[in-house]
Amino acid sequence: MIGFMLNGQKVESKLPPDTPLLWAIRDEFNHTGTKFGCGIGFCGACTVHVDGRAVRSCITTLEMVEGAIVTTIEGLGASGQHPLQKAWINVQAPQCGYCQSGQIMQAAALLVDFPDPTDNDIAHAMNGNLCRCMAYYRIRDAIKLAASEINRSKEA
Amino acid sequence: MSGFGRIAAYYRNRFAPDVAKSVPDCNLIPLSRRSFIIGTGAAGLLFGFGGVGLGTGVAEAAIGTSRDGYTPTLWYSIAADGAVTVNIKYAEMGQHIGTALARMVADELEVSWDMVRIHAVDTDAKWGLMSTGGSYSVFGEFKPLSQAGAAGRIAMIDAAAQLLGGEASAYTVRNGRISGPGGSITYAELVSQGAVNRVFSPDEIAGMPLKPINERRLIGSPGRALDIPAKVDGTAKYGIDARTEGMVYARPIIPPTRYGSVVETINDTAAKSILGYQQTIALDDPTGFVEGWVVVLADTYPAAMKAARLVEVSWSTGRNSTVSDKDILDFGRKQIDDSSGGSLLRDDDGLADAFAKASENLQAEYTTSTVIQFTLEPLNATAWRDDDGHWEVLTGNQWQSLILPHLESAAGVESGQVTMRTYYLGGGYGRRLFGDYAIPAILASKALGGRPVKLLAERAEDSRFSTPRSPSVQRFKAALQKGDVVGMEHHASAGWPTEVMSPGDLIEGLNKVKFDPFAIHGAEHWYSLGPQKLRALSNTLANETVVPGWLRSVAAGWVNWGLESFVDELARKLGRDPLEFRLERLKAEGRNKGEDPVSTGGALRQAAVLRRAAEMSGYGNTLPPDTGIGIACTHGQERDAPTWCACVAQVHVDRATGKVTCQRLDMAIDAGSLIHPDGALAQAQGGALWGLSMALHEGTEIVNAQVRDLNLDAYSPLRMADLPELNVEFIDSGTVPTGLGEPPVTAPAPAIGNAIFNAIGVRIRHLPIRPEDVLAALKE
Amino acid sequence: MKWRRALLAGSATVVLGVLGFLAYAYESPIDPVDRPSADSFAPELVEKGRILAAAGDCETCHSAPGRPRFSGGLGLPTPFGVLYTTNITPDPQYGIGRWSKEAFRRAMREGVRRDGAHLYPGFPYTAYKNVTESDIDAIYAYLMTQEPVAMDPPENGIIFPFNYRFFQAGWKLLFFDPAPLTVDPSKSKQWNRGAYLAEGLGHCSACHSPRNLLGAEKQGGDRYTGALVEGWYAPALNGDTGSPLPWSKDELYSYLRTGASPLHGVAAGPMAPVISDGLAQQSDADIEALATYFADLADAPEQVDEQTIVEALQSTRAPSLSELASRGKTLFEAGCIACHYNEPDKAPNILRPELALNTAVTGPNPSTLIQAILNGVNKPHGHPDIFMPGYASSLTDEDIAAIAAYLHETYATPIGAISPAWADLAGTTKALRTENTEKQHRQAEAAQ
Ligand code: FES
Ligand code: FES
Repeated sequence: MIGFMLNGQKVESKLPPDTPLLWAIRDEFNHTGTKFGCGIGFCGACTVHVDGRAVRSCITTLEMVEGAIVTTIEGLGASGQHPLQKAWINVQAPQCGYCQSGQIMQAAALLVDFPDPTDNDIAHAMNGNLCRCMAYYRIRDAIKLAASEINRSKEA
Repeated sequence: MSGFGRIAAYYRNRFAPDVAKSVPDCNLIPLSRRSFIIGTGAAGLLFGFGGVGLGTGVAEAAIGTSRDGYTPTLWYSIAADGAVTVNIKYAEMGQHIGTALARMVADELEVSWDMVRIHAVDTDAKWGLMSTGGSYSVFGEFKPLSQAGAAGRIAMIDAAAQLLGGEASAYTVRNGRISGPGGSITYAELVSQGAVNRVFSPDEIAGMPLKPINERRLIGSPGRALDIPAKVDGTAKYGIDARTEGMVYARPIIPPTRYGSVVETINDTAAKSILGYQQTIALDDPTGFVEGWVVVLADTYPAAMKAARLVEVSWSTGRNSTVSDKDILDFGRKQIDDSSGGSLLRDDDGLADAFAKASENLQAEYTTSTVIQFTLEPLNATAWRDDDGHWEVLTGNQWQSLILPHLESAAGVESGQVTMRTYYLGGGYGRRLFGDYAIPAILASKALGGRPVKLLAERAEDSRFSTPRSPSVQRFKAALQKGDVVGMEHHASAGWPTEVMSPGDLIEGLNKVKFDPFAIHGAEHWYSLGPQKLRALSNTLANETVVPGWLRSVAAGWVNWGLESFVDELARKLGRDPLEFRLERLKAEGRNKGEDPVSTGGALRQAAVLRRAAEMSGYGNTLPPDTGIGIACTHGQERDAPTWCACVAQVHVDRATGKVTCQRLDMAIDAGSLIHPDGALAQAQGGALWGLSMALHEGTEIVNAQVRDLNLDAYSPLRMADLPELNVEFIDSGTVPTGLGEPPVTAPAPAIGNAIFNAIGVRIRHLPIRPEDVLAALKE
Repeated sequence: MKWRRALLAGSATVVLGVLGFLAYAYESPIDPVDRPSADSFAPELVEKGRILAAAGDCETCHSAPGRPRFSGGLGLPTPFGVLYTTNITPDPQYGIGRWSKEAFRRAMREGVRRDGAHLYPGFPYTAYKNVTESDIDAIYAYLMTQEPVAMDPPENGIIFPFNYRFFQAGWKLLFFDPAPLTVDPSKSKQWNRGAYLAEGLGHCSACHSPRNLLGAEKQGGDRYTGALVEGWYAPALNGDTGSPLPWSKDELYSYLRTGASPLHGVAAGPMAPVISDGLAQQSDADIEALATYFADLADAPEQVDEQTIVEALQSTRAPSLSELASRGKTLFEAGCIACHYNEPDKAPNILRPELALNTAVTGPNPSTLIQAILNGVNKPHGHPDIFMPGYASSLTDEDIAAIAAYLHETYATPIGAISPAWADLAGTTKALRTENTEKQHRQAEAAQ
């Protein structure tokens, strides 16, 4: 059994160690906010954090996360109040919404490396997250809005 | 009532008071059936049916006054606390449709937006047609829902007047509070006192007058979509999130052809080593839509995926197993060459004469390759049979009324014995108009004695089972005389989605041959270009190879590619500026005058958006080398419900590699009144990018009867780094609101093609525009 | 086929050896002793031994997935067949429990078993000969205080005639100089410490030097010019890596200390545990000594200034791409760039491995890059905060070839003189997949 921390709780998966983390998260631990899109690491719908870095959970096996800290959209902010989630609502970013958990998790990791991201930074760091509804402009706006909120609260 | 009729008929029907008609049918879905669904995890994740219902947990109440509050029509209830819950029968797939429809109700009802909730309903006969597509929802519901809202307001005022002792006409209402002689009272107070129970007759609702435009409070003003919060914290439930006790997971193995494959052998010896693997079964399909399907069953989905890779299946391959895009295009060309076939939509007098007298002709052929919807949520459905023989199907779907009869025949039950539970759709774009993917879930469950089966396609299987936009061929021929166009022929061949999936909705042409409106939309343009002949041909090779799909904007997505490129060619041929050439011919004369209320203003509104888009773009400015601007304008999809779209594209072409980069898009759109302006803008932004993506980034081909590019390592829709600058402006003409989900998709591709011509002087006549085609054209 | 020829050459050599060196080949057994009790070793000595054993990667080789540590069983593929590492727990029957300190010393420095049989050079006594006696004694103390494991490794798969161990004496005569390393008085103390670690317990050349047909490390100018090991390419340490920027002392230090260098890449494959298990136990001073030694070997500066970095970043852009590489670009931008993007005018972030500067991308051999794509770079080894899943199940050989072609064409072209074009990338990917699968099977068998 592979153990890891999932959104602050210790969990142990009964699935075989080569099982993609995604299915443990979704089907075994019932955190269905993380989505399945392509299964090959090319859409970003399944993005979660492993030890704070954005990772595609569809190609990350359980054995790779033994003992790691895994965070999903459900664990990002207390009751959906992470600055990114607020910004996402402020700019009304989602359309169908299916890609958005992954977008937000990717964006959260992006802001760690690029606290004040340019359009170019966002274009590259978010390029692996496909939005089939093509809500890209709003995703970009939301990231910038969240960045400025976070930076402002840091200064304050 | 069947699916997509012509829009005018649809619109007229929507005026009919089917709201009140449904009253006697209305009954509650027994709660016992609801209790099947469980949330096995944290309490916060517990959910019930109606995943889209934003947690209202409200059962649809009977019309009248009850414990649940006051329900003046089937479409909404007012609870004792004043909360208004609007029942939504349309699929939520990104268009925030519940928000738009609820705003119509709330505006007339005069309640504040924070008291409004939406509730997505499951299938039930009482809702009438359940279909979300064609960008019809807002257009079709505007009047009936507004009238339903108005009826509620009048009932409230009458009740208040009675309580407070004045004349009804002396009272005003704002935000659910009625004030006038004797004081004021809220809707909540009226409802909690049981003071209101008026029910409206169909005639009364149909005759209900709407507020003047200047008294609208919600329609046209900013507001947030009610479905969005659940989409940013992971709580929104999509079909893929549906679960119930004791589910078996099923991973399909798709046969080599869409039609007629028959399973010969299944060898699952290797799969038996997979922990949790159960068995592999061939489905026994009475519907003809999942012929030759095999499903791998397991305790968990990852086990099913792993096992599926180890199962060997052989088929006797079905029909057309070697057909390719090229075969379909060649077939279409032959059809067009034969002048006797097809359905005639227009055959204006004087055309032969015009060609006979013409000093010159201009001819061109435009083609498009296969495109797939690639919804990010792969196809899935969960199904089981109740103890009482009733079937539950949990899935996101756009056209429940179309698929239910097929689901019933798959289950082998009578009409009414299958209920589809509503979930968010992780993208629709037309793929989920056809619920064929729910059939195998039922069949697998049936094979297991009705046990719950959750069927989920992996991405490659989803692609192989897509309903692609058919390859298309169009031929245009114009008669030119004295610097003008005096007649035009337009022939179009493509797979016909409606013929394959909903043949009852074909329409008779002038020559009594039926046509699929969704395979020719856009062709009946608003230009004055002399008499026209318009012929639509059903590419039967496409129809018999794939299930050609209704892909976002459907025919208008490829018809306009040809038409608007050809119009540009005409302008060039005549030595005219393409903008002026178009504006001069958008005269709103004759049949292009427009019709009240659906296309008020006619061609003049198309001219207006075109002019505006040109202004926005700085049309006419000098640009750097190999950079060009191109224009296109369309009426969206339907002549009878036009959404006027104009697009100016600026592209740069790399002559060395042939790569085209779209740098900027300017779009002006007139969709009549905007119900939910921010939602409208979002749809326009997404739609414009779809148009761009299909022009430059995505597109595949049919190879051996199936799409070639199955996953994102090969299929490449537009991504964040490909974004051009985009400006969208709406011209709010205050007229009937028309659709926005699809129309903005139609203009960018021809605008880009025209821009390429301006940049490097070559004409591209095939979609998608590939670097190798540009290079080849440059060499010529 | 190459190896078959090698085998013939080898057999010829060995046959001659039999005649001439039978006497030479003979090594006497050393008498067994009773297993020394754990408390006969001073705790400080055991602790010192623990650190030294880590520096020698004893555990990395003498443990295998699914088996207890130090019980051996790791299969090392050699051109002469698979060699399984031995049980070095103090078990009297299966391990080294009855080895005296003397027997252990002889094994370490001369490559001879307690019973007098010759060891194969897969065991790097060729480097361990440089380890001081007192260090060896500490390692002995450490190993003797470990948990004994009564388990045999699988039978070696060494082919005839190499399965006759006394032939190894001939090999030694040809390739083994038993004289230990001496201090170079012209170099600093730190340098000499680095040399001692690298050429002794570190046995760095075992992987980073190419070998001759009989599996001996090449010497002289060929030493440290890089080699393929277990399907991964151990880059040159003599300065000829093909990297756009030199492996400066600072970068070497960062890499050996943390498992990643912002200007060169992340430790992965067989190198990852060398750092995370072995070097992680060593003092900062010793890591610095290693960095000093190798920076000198490569004639590299102490550090690279920011301007040089930015220039290197901006100069490495290919003008035009092959068809394969264009496809790779699309794939890279969809699947890889999210983690590998850095701001264009800044020194790269260590946690966002900058492929424009990466040794695996610009080097002469694509294997490491392909392996990283196939297997990812992940826990438990390597830099603790860098995590990359493998794409073996997501991408085809052609996809991976395309990505590798894109990166190499884009970033290695300007320095093409050093770094030749990569050929048959799909074929290489396919071969590496097979090799990886075989390795997995071997491990699975050894674990049973
Ligand atoms: S599902 Fe993991 S990246 Fe697409
Ligand atoms: S919002 Fe639908 S895929 Fe992004």
